[in-house]
Amino acid sequence: MTRAPEARDPLAMVLAAAAAIAWLFTGDFGKEVLSEVAVFAIFAMSLNLLVGCAGLVSLGHAAFFAIGAYAAAAFGVFVNLPLWTAMPLAVAVTAVAAAVAGFFAVRLSGVFFIMMTLAIGQMVYAFFLNSRAFNADDGMAGIGRVDFSFLGLDSGEPAVFCAFAVVAAVAVFFLLRMVARSPFGHTLAALRQNEPRLRSLGCPVLRCKLAAFTLAGALAGFAGALAAQHSGFISPDLAFWTVSGEVLVMVIIGGMGSLSGAALGAALVILLRHHLAGLTEYWVFYMGVLFVLMVLFAEDGVAGRFSWLLRKLHRRGKNV
Amino acid sequence: MNKKRFAAAFLTAVFFAAPAPAAEPVKIGVLLPFSGVYGGLGSDQERALGLGFDTFGRTVGGRGIVLVKADTEAKPAVGLQKARELILRDRVDLLVGIISSAVAGAVRDYVHNAGVPLFITNAGNDLLTGARCSPWIIRTSFSNSQIVRGMGPWLHRRGYRSAFLMAFDYAAGHQMMDAFRDSFTSAGGAIAGEEYPPLGQVQDFAPYLVKLKSAAPDVTFVFFAGPPAIKFAREYAAFGLNRGIPLAAAGWLTSALHIDRQGGEVDGVYSILNYVPSIASAENAAFQRAHKARFGRAGSEYGVAAYDTARLIVDALAAVNADLSDKSAFLRAVHAVSFNGPRGPFRIDPATNNIIQNIYISQVRRSARGGVTAEVLDVLPGMRDQARGCRM
Repeated sequence: MTRAPEARDPLAMVLAAAAAIAWLFTGDFGKEVLSEVAVFAIFAMSLNLLVGCAGLVSLGHAAFFAIGAYAAAAFGVFVNLPLWTAMPLAVAVTAVAAAVAGFFAVRLSGVFFIMMTLAIGQMVYAFFLNSRAFNADDGMAGIGRVDFSFLGLDSGEPAVFCAFAVVAAVAVFFLLRMVARSPFGHTLAALRQNEPRLRSLGCPVLRCKLAAFTLAGALAGFAGALAAQHSGFISPDLAFWTVSGEVLVMVIIGGMGSLSGAALGAALVILLRHHLAGLTEYWVFYMGVLFVLMVLFAEDGVAGRFSWLLRKLHRRGKNV
Repeated sequence: MNKKRFAAAFLTAVFFAAPAPAAEPVKIGVLLPFSGVYGGLGSDQERALGLGFDTFGRTVGGRGIVLVKADTEAKPAVGLQKARELILRDRVDLLVGIISSAVAGAVRDYVHNAGVPLFITNAGNDLLTGARCSPWIIRTSFSNSQIVRGMGPWLHRRGYRSAFLMAFDYAAGHQMMDAFRDSFTSAGGAIAGEEYPPLGQVQDFAPYLVKLKSAAPDVTFVFFAGPPAIKFAREYAAFGLNRGIPLAAAGWLTSALHIDRQGGEVDGVYSILNYVPSIASAENAAFQRAHKARFGRAGSEYGVAAYDTARLIVDALAAVNADLSDKSAFLRAVHAVSFNGPRGPFRIDPATNNIIQNIYISQVRRSARGGVTAEVLDVLPGMRDQARGCRM
């Protein structure tokens, strides 16, 4: 079941082309949806580092998404920092939070790791829900967006912010691909396959897991900081465990272990949500049916099916 | 060649003969909770809004009026998403609704930046027409402090010298109690005590009622709405407090939606609100008659705000001949509208975009037919908010 990162990633190219076409040809609403897809693609890719590479299934990843969002909003609204400064600070805050949470979480494995991350997520949710400083369950409003006026652009325009979000997603994609191909990435893959053996080889297993947990948390915080700017409003719901569950569904539908698959999963879930919600009240039910079918018949997700199809076409081309 | 030219001429003729774009309907997005805890209030307002448009006109200036519903679930994040969908995807001309102040706070910036007029039909947070006011956001319901600040002097005049305050620990609770405290102490009254139970976590008011009893105030003033209101009034009566310490409340405690079910438990309660079904006027009688005929029960303070909003929109659209291309002209028309509605004289204050309206002080009494009704004791005419921190 090893999936060594391929040199070329046709799915990523298809996705990038689809994003470019969507950006060029949709109206303002389409661009708003595309921004949301880009933000959740970053979120899902960051979780993929844990689930797909290191084999650590987290049910509390939304905690870091929310911390990133709240930190960016707090630096922007309370301290009045420009978002170009607030965003990196938010990522740093989230990285610290993820390192602290990870310190406890990575000592556990299997179901206990899942329960621990779930508990951490709900603790963060409860904190924001009850915190006066962050406006409790009313949430925080008045969050601006990064300033592009030095380029003569207004980030309040859906087209500008959408392009920014997509570029950010592409950058995160390359960053995570670099990580996956590095010795560190290979160590994580080995860790997923045979942890005791790695341990007996003298690899600092806990430190590797903690590093992965921190990096994934920081990138989720980056996604959160973008989400806060995109909607201009945040509430404790961002940290709720169902959000963690949803992003896990994105990773699984897209194809665990595939970076572009995680991005595709995010796109699929968000587009389905927008379209199904308009068609039927029971859209959550249909999403559930889709998820069950995917898990039963396409364990490797849409990305896996896609590369299977490509291989098949390639072989047939050779035979003829 | 000839055929083509003919076709071109024909198409041109059709194009110019087509009615002006004004024939397109005015699209109004309705942002209300239809599910969740506030679902009942949302559908109450939606029905009254429909009744209002049926009464005051479904077509204005040659354009029809189309309502597009969206369920906010009374959740801020969902409300914001729905507002964005209504504005960007459905391209609505106006927005109406919003029960929860949290939802209003969430959509405020987006609506303000999009420049789409929003008529708030409930959410009472003072800030929405105060420090966070917007030229595009008009409130046809009330502000929290507008409702209660007449109560302090009135109770003082009646001889009550000390008051105990209680409300849930959230923005609306504090705004109401702050406004009451200011008005009561500046009239010469004293505060015997205050309690703010956590919102949504109280199973039982008993511990707070014990504190209230030992503080022994002349009068109690509270703000509770919905199911907790019914529960509070019940426990207040069950403790026997209603016999010694009169209960005064922001009028949602004995809302028209549930006063029938409260019965003797709320007998004698003083309430202050912008509407009670027993207001004696031809406009109110017409509203109540139409509401009862269509929905089989009395119109509430929630319904009346939506009903008046329909009239405000129809009148303002008529003044600009349903032409919304100049939005500021439409807003000026909104400010110019004034009429006598079920609540009495209605107009929008250009300084804050909040409603200027009568406030009614009433007392719940057993009626001759066996039930209980809130009977109006006093009217505070034309209550108007000061522009606290609001710069348009």
